Amino acid sequence: MASDNLPSEFDVVILGTGLTESIIASACSRVGQKVLHIDRRNYYSSKWAGFNFNSLLSWIEEYKSQQGSQSTEDEAEWRKTLEDGEEVLPLSADDSFITNLEVSCYASLEAEEEVKENEEATETLSPAAPSPTEPEEETKGKGEGESSPDVTQETTTSGETQHTQEDGGCGVQEEGASQDAGQSEEIEQKEQQEDTTAGPPSSAKEVKKKKITYADLVKEGRRFNIDLVSKLIYSRGSLVDLLIQSKVSRYTEFKIVTRILTYRQGRVEQVPCSRADVFASKQLTMVEKRMLMKFLTFCLDFEQHPEEYQEVSDQPFWEFLQTKKLTENLQHFVLHSIAMVTKETCTEDGLKATQHFLRCLGRYGNTPFLFPLYGLGEIPQCFCRMSAVFGGIYCLRHSVQCLVVDKETNGCKAVIDTQGQRISCSHFVVEDSFVRQRWKNTEEGHISRAVLITDRSVLPADSDQQISLLTAPPLEPGGPAVHVVELCSSSMTCMPGTFLVHLTCSSKGTAREDLESLIAQMFYVPPSPGEELAEGDERSGRPTVMWAMYFNMLDISRMDGSNGFDLPSNVHVCTGPDVNLGCDYSVKLAEKIFRQLLPEEEFCPPAPDPEDIIYEGVAPQGEGSGFEENPKTEGSPLQSEADGLENHPESEKEAAEVEAPIQETPKEALKEDASPSEE
Amino acid sequence: MSTEDYDYLFKIVLIGNAGVGKTCLVRRFTQGLFPPGQGATIGVDFMIKTVEIKGEKVKLQIWDTAGQERFRSITQSYYRSANALILTYDITCEDSFCCLPEWLREIEQYANNQVVTILVGNKIDLADKREVVRQRAEEFADTQSMLYLETSAKESDNVEKLFLDLACELIREAKQNTLDNSENSPMPGEGKSISYLSCCSLN
Repeated sequence: MASDNLPSEFDVVILGTGLTESIIASACSRVGQKVLHIDRRNYYSSKWAGFNFNSLLSWIEEYKSQQGSQSTEDEAEWRKTLEDGEEVLPLSADDSFITNLEVSCYASLEAEEEVKENEEATETLSPAAPSPTEPEEETKGKGEGESSPDVTQETTTSGETQHTQEDGGCGVQEEGASQDAGQSEEIEQKEQQEDTTAGPPSSAKEVKKKKITYADLVKEGRRFNIDLVSKLIYSRGSLVDLLIQSKVSRYTEFKIVTRILTYRQGRVEQVPCSRADVFASKQLTMVEKRMLMKFLTFCLDFEQHPEEYQEVSDQPFWEFLQTKKLTENLQHFVLHSIAMVTKETCTEDGLKATQHFLRCLGRYGNTPFLFPLYGLGEIPQCFCRMSAVFGGIYCLRHSVQCLVVDKETNGCKAVIDTQGQRISCSHFVVEDSFVRQRWKNTEEGHISRAVLITDRSVLPADSDQQISLLTAPPLEPGGPAVHVVELCSSSMTCMPGTFLVHLTCSSKGTAREDLESLIAQMFYVPPSPGEELAEGDERSGRPTVMWAMYFNMLDISRMDGSNGFDLPSNVHVCTGPDVNLGCDYSVKLAEKIFRQLLPEEEFCPPAPDPEDIIYEGVAPQGEGSGFEENPKTEGSPLQSEADGLENHPESEKEAAEVEAPIQETPKEALKEDASPSEE
Repeated sequence: MSTEDYDYLFKIVLIGNAGVGKTCLVRRFTQGLFPPGQGATIGVDFMIKTVEIKGEKVKLQIWDTAGQERFRSITQSYYRSANALILTYDITCEDSFCCLPEWLREIEQYANNQVVTILVGNKIDLADKREVVRQRAEEFADTQSMLYLETSAKESDNVEKLFLDLACELIREAKQNTLDNSENSPMPGEGKSISYLSCCSLN
């Protein structure tokens, strides 16, 4: 690996590559700070990471093997570097933030015809393959109650099943590696045919469709990008603003969420939210359409009509909706799918939430949300790239074992990395999981998550390339409201012919306890891998779950900033992600921490546009990134309205500046470049 | 939207060990410069050069690693949507050649299946310090079905050729793709970048 040693002096050392840490890294590098950004893991994005299917299986294995292992470091060498008046503050060696991890496979374990016949022969293959049925229960009791033996029917499927499964997966994996991907092309083509024959999925087509087996999932594992965190991006939220303003948006592309759905009385329904939706809706009566439009129009600028709500502004929004003469149907849509609040939320907050939703509509598409191609895990990496472009030093598989604290000032002077090297810094920014033991409060929140791979959409439509947000109100009073994001293959997060479904809610119990009953209602979960439904079963229209993962994620986002931690004042803790659908919490926290670090500096000013940096001998090109694309057809880079109108400075003018050596400090370079290009 | 003054836009991404001359190759090609002893490039994200091939204007967007290769920490997102990869090693540094399989693993993991990869042995001006004989590299490239080229960013040997050859290959692929669009189009969920799609639509 790297033979190079890390430099030993930085302005800011950042541990953890989640969204908040990465934004801070890019903001600091951008204004000329020397930044060292490291992560103990061998992948980017920390809690926000996305994995392909195979990497996810290895990650799960690693997670299991890590349980209870503690690393013991030899401290002798670096101890010598300590001076008088310095003391050492160790960081947590255990940075795990996942509990109650359970994985179950329901896809057929028959790999392919040949393999099925050869089952005996494949028996000998390496047992090192991840065993997908094995449940994982964290033993470090997090107050969720002892992980009960509810290890469920499918996870306790006899050793035999599990065995075949390993073999199946393994056999095909090897085959896939040595063979040409003939089979995959086949699937693909079928998929494309389906794409082009736009029309409601007929049962005849279903029959033609090749059944996807577990082996297929493994073989096509690269096509999955499974995020640990499931969020969407509000098109007028702080993340979009930041991406555009900082120009980090140039590193990635987005898809528009195409549908807002809800689950009501045992059925999945589409929620009409834009004006066009409302009028096109077949489920609403004319009267309802008018009522809904009238109400939504009021919400858009509700502040202008205080008489309408002021008296009841702290009463529940739910009651307010009832006074607005909305039908029950509409009340449900507004409360759960548009405002996305609970029945207890007060009217003013409910109105604000509705307004925010409505304001985000139409900026990029028919729903308020965007989703990054390849998954949310890309976003922190984009900020890391920006930081690196401005001189930030990046090192994965590298961590900090302790902080060196000045006893007198109680400030952190340096960190000792996992190689025992002392690295001085003025500020240390850290992901919350590394400093959990310094947290004063003992009460921890959790997020319950489930990830499913399914074979069809919860609401099949003309095109199967839909990205949907479904909000499911609590199934029983006091239960969690769940948000469900269903991703299609063109979002680059799952293989053709499958859907990736993320479920998220605030934990009441373990993830399985919180989400299992909703999943059982909306999907068909085969009692044993590959088992098909009998003719005429009431569940026959539902998507079949092929693979499922449950886990809880630590959420101490209520403790924003460092106040809740017993740490030196120049140590800044990045808490989160929170359970909310948007990313705003993490973006705002990053800005807040940046302001503490560098109160005088601008937060993420625009990076100079490479299009403006044109060198001698090259005729100036037309402005614009050339990425502009009709948002409806494909993933599209963000482009603010302002951006579209803006004229980039003429290139000749720029050329002289760029000729100058780039060796000057980044700070100066930035000031020169950045100011003229953005207006 | 402004009308763009080019027929094709391709994203080309450089990878390879630190110090093999990736940035020098890019600057030689885009600026005609060879900055000796150049440190890390700060603030420059990618460079652009428009070339003309058989009467068609091809805009090349060339991305450098931003130093993240130094500790083997390149972000996956860097590989996404690249149309071509230039995998570079230094012919005077055995080590940089031995790391190639590691780089290929990364490519396999994160890059688009249809990415065009070219292997480049740089620094041929330092012939007397050569540690990797040409034949070895050619054989290696062959086993991985990559193109192979030796260059000198310093002497400007083969640098132009490198990028022009790539551009030709990319155009050839793009045309092929438009021709038999239905049969051979990029896999859903993994397709070419938007830039690619938009340039196709111009034809």
